[in-house]
Amino acid sequence: MVQIVISSKAGEGPAEWLLVELQGEVVSRQNTGLAGNLMGDLHYTKEGVPVLIVGHHILYGKQVKLEKPFETMETNQENPTSYTVSALIKKKLIFKTRPKPIITNVPKKV
Amino acid sequence: MDEYDEMYGIEDDFEQQFADELEVMAEMDREHPPGVKVSEFRSKKPISQTFEEAIVSGDVPLRKSVNNQHPESISPPVCEEEESLTPKPKKRRQDVVKKLQFGVENCDDITPPSSPEVYDRPARDGPGFSLSLSPDRSAATKITTNVLDISGLTALQKSPKQVTTARHAQKRPPAIGDYITVTDSMGNRVYLNKKEDKEKAPDPRAFRNSLNGLGLLAVPIEVLKEQIAERRHRQVLEESQRLTELMNSGISPELLAEEQKDSGVDGDSGEDEGLSSRLWVDQFSPQHYTDLLSDDFTNRCLLKWLKLWDTVVFGRERKPRSTPADVRSNFTNAQNQNQSQRFKTKSQMTEEILEAELDQYKRPKFKVALLSGPPGLGKTTLAHIIAKHAGYNVVEINASDDRSAELFQKRIDTATQMKSVLGANEKPNCLIIDEIDGAPAAAINILLATLNRKDSREGEESGGNALKKRKKKQSVLLRPIICICNDLYVPALRPLRQQAFLLTFPQTLPSRLAQRLAEITRRHGMKADTGTLMALCEKTDNDIRACINTLQFLHSRGQKHLDQRSVNSISVGLKDQNKGLFSVWQEIFQLPRLKRKRIGGDSFGGFDEAGPKDGTQRLQHILHLVSSNGEHEKLTQGLYDNFLSMKLKDPGMLGVCAGLDWMCFSDLLNECVLHGQNYSLMRYFPFLPAAFHHLYAANSVPRINYPHSNYEAFTKTQHTKNALLAMLNDIPPAVQSRISISCLCLDILSLLLDLISPKLRPVNPQLYSTREKQQLYDLIDTMINYNLTYRQDRTPEGQYTYVLEPNVEDVVHFPGLPPRRQLTYQVKQLIARETELERMRRVERAQQKRNSQKTETVKKDQEGKKTEVKKQTNRNHQQRLENIVKQTVVESRPELDFFGRAIVPKEKPAVTTTSEDGKGGGVVHIGKAVGNSDVWFRFNEGVSNAVRRNVYIRELL
Repeated sequence: MVQIVISSKAGEGPAEWLLVELQGEVVSRQNTGLAGNLMGDLHYTKEGVPVLIVGHHILYGKQVKLEKPFETMETNQENPTSYTVSALIKKKLIFKTRPKPIITNVPKKV
Repeated sequence: MDEYDEMYGIEDDFEQQFADELEVMAEMDREHPPGVKVSEFRSKKPISQTFEEAIVSGDVPLRKSVNNQHPESISPPVCEEEESLTPKPKKRRQDVVKKLQFGVENCDDITPPSSPEVYDRPARDGPGFSLSLSPDRSAATKITTNVLDISGLTALQKSPKQVTTARHAQKRPPAIGDYITVTDSMGNRVYLNKKEDKEKAPDPRAFRNSLNGLGLLAVPIEVLKEQIAERRHRQVLEESQRLTELMNSGISPELLAEEQKDSGVDGDSGEDEGLSSRLWVDQFSPQHYTDLLSDDFTNRCLLKWLKLWDTVVFGRERKPRSTPADVRSNFTNAQNQNQSQRFKTKSQMTEEILEAELDQYKRPKFKVALLSGPPGLGKTTLAHIIAKHAGYNVVEINASDDRSAELFQKRIDTATQMKSVLGANEKPNCLIIDEIDGAPAAAINILLATLNRKDSREGEESGGNALKKRKKKQSVLLRPIICICNDLYVPALRPLRQQAFLLTFPQTLPSRLAQRLAEITRRHGMKADTGTLMALCEKTDNDIRACINTLQFLHSRGQKHLDQRSVNSISVGLKDQNKGLFSVWQEIFQLPRLKRKRIGGDSFGGFDEAGPKDGTQRLQHILHLVSSNGEHEKLTQGLYDNFLSMKLKDPGMLGVCAGLDWMCFSDLLNECVLHGQNYSLMRYFPFLPAAFHHLYAANSVPRINYPHSNYEAFTKTQHTKNALLAMLNDIPPAVQSRISISCLCLDILSLLLDLISPKLRPVNPQLYSTREKQQLYDLIDTMINYNLTYRQDRTPEGQYTYVLEPNVEDVVHFPGLPPRRQLTYQVKQLIARETELERMRRVERAQQKRNSQKTETVKKDQEGKKTEVKKQTNRNHQQRLENIVKQTVVESRPELDFFGRAIVPKEKPAVTTTSEDGKGGGVVHIGKAVGNSDVWFRFNEGVSNAVRRNVYIRELL
């Protein structure tokens, strides 16, 4: 019987994260990879609808409670391996509608 | 005293105003028995008493006194002169004119030179005249006793005479012309000019006859003048009578006696006028059913219809009809005939309507009777009399009443649902709506609504008697309504027409009307034979009212004896009736039917037989007809369209020329009227139809077509103008500056159309030789410059053709000429395509030329920064896109900050550089603009919104 110790950080509860689900993919423009790049901005409207702006796209989504919550854990490389819960994920944001383009520079005369 | 002066003041005014006319009349009528008219109105006034009279009355001393007043003038010869030259006032005028002209020659003339006014004035209202009237004497007595020559007056008469008449007398024989020597009682000899008058007075009769063949006046001028004289005479008489009455009220019985004697002549007419202040039409309007003049059948029908209401109104049962045997037999006979014909005559239809059953309220099927017919046939009279005859109380709504919808409703309701309770005879009302064709449509709709009103509780009412019914159902119409109109076919009446019992009034029989007129004239002591009365009837189109009014008018003017001439010459009986355009045209182009000669009509046929008289009468008739019609323009168009189809009898076409001249004249007149607002000229419009009548009228019935030519010409003009304008609009300004519409259609187009149809081989243009190519290019160049092209069109037969666009071919194509040579379909197609291409090419070229400067400047920048490289990779579309992008960038205004300073754009160079990268310049540019992010989102389309449906295998099997 292996006993796995899962503990949270002392003194405070685990942070709560959000899962973002996109229909589609986020692509780097310069083929340089996504790492380190700013993906976009997440806002909420007054009604609580999440709005994600990626590039020149704007996506409207909704917040959904996960049926099964997730947690993120950190492994502690000790002898009896123990885990520390770093965050809990109870909700996710789903962006499944077709993104709307943002047109900033409207040519006045073509 | 005042009135006396006033009276003369007025007359003097008349003389002054119409001095010219009188002069001309006098000139024209010199040959006329002298002094007829002049003396007639002169003799009434004390001034115009002639010298003979004065001499006869033996006032020599007075004359001397006059001579003393004017020592230079020689009075006695005047009397001789008086004899030879009677129309005094005109003569005087003339002489003045003479004098003014020959003043130098006649320096030895005795008469004191003065202005014409001076000559006239003293004769009338010289101060001496009016002042010397003795205050105790009344004006009236002077007039009435003018024959008696009261000494006080003669002096006055003479003083003006002196001035006026001594003019011709000269002491020496005149240098020129004939003269008469005269020696007076004193032994003085004077010479009278003679020749002048001869010159001045050509025979007016001859003059007039030669010129005045048309007889533009309805009444010859002599008659007119006589009438004027007579009128003035009467006026003076009346005035005198009035004055005497005035005087009688105050003073002197002996004067009064005199007056009565005097006025006895006129007295009876005055009394008559007092009597006949009532209109004869009212006086003699029929009082009973049997008196009615209108058609018997119509009368009977209306009465029968009204009787149908008896059941519901009076509660009487309808008697089973017991028609007299003869009527019945007639009826059956007619029916037998009609059964073979299958169609019923109108009268039988009417009979049938009257026979028809009553409806559930025991009302007749038609609740309204609608009488129609031209005015003056006695429709209103008939309605009133029949309603009275049937025992109704008549309530009339007239055109003079307010006929707005709500008032109309109120009046209908009051008339049909109420009943007078006061008064001895409480009769039910019968509503008569007169002149309903003038009522607004809303009012007629209300009437209809009243007719069709249904009772809500009709089920329980079915068995009730009439009285009970009336109490319970206030809403159902239970009273007869009679409507009267002149024009049955007014649009507003259309719905009513279907629900009404229509009765059209036929013309009154002239014989019956004449009989009635004879009775009236007899009662009023006028004399008129039947022929005259028949003529009157004919003239008024058997209009009873007009006939009687005319008679009364003539009677009140003191005409006791009526004859044909007077009836024909008056324009009284003529109505201002509008006739339709077609009937006017017909009357213009058709000679009037010769009236049948009647027995004993020698005084009668006079008008029809005398040629020129007939002509003038026709002229007057046409003039009247046309001026009453008023639609001058339409009328003229009709004349223009139809006059060539008339039977023209002149081989030289002189009549046609004359007619066209008249047309031109009328056109000028019209222009003058419309341009200058000179509406007084409009009175000459009717002479065109009159002239056409005299030129083209024939006995046969003309076939008249409604004029279309004007409208057709108008639409064609519009069409042409539109085509030309469309062509002209898009012609390049360089060409356009040299052509206008008129020169385009007059000079250019016909040649241009020849130019743009060269001979081209119908083969592929690739195969053309260089010369042919050049030719084609020239052709296309021309067509583009003149904004012409070919457009594919489908003919009604289904074939495809190419037509010019805009279609200016019609503009220069005259009907009747052979069509010009056309290019083949293929060539036209080729030209159309090439034209289109060439046009596009030119547009592009022009655009590039416009953009070239900008791109060049930009390019300079680029070259300054970078080395060429990717210029050749810029393909066509990309280049264009770039141009567009740049243009928008360039044209966007420099941004200003709050203080109006220009903000230096920082991204601009970046933009140009990105576009130089050549990677979909637009996209990159935009992507940078939003958030500057290097990450973008690609959407996966994985969702189907298709409708899902379950399909079972068994359905497929």
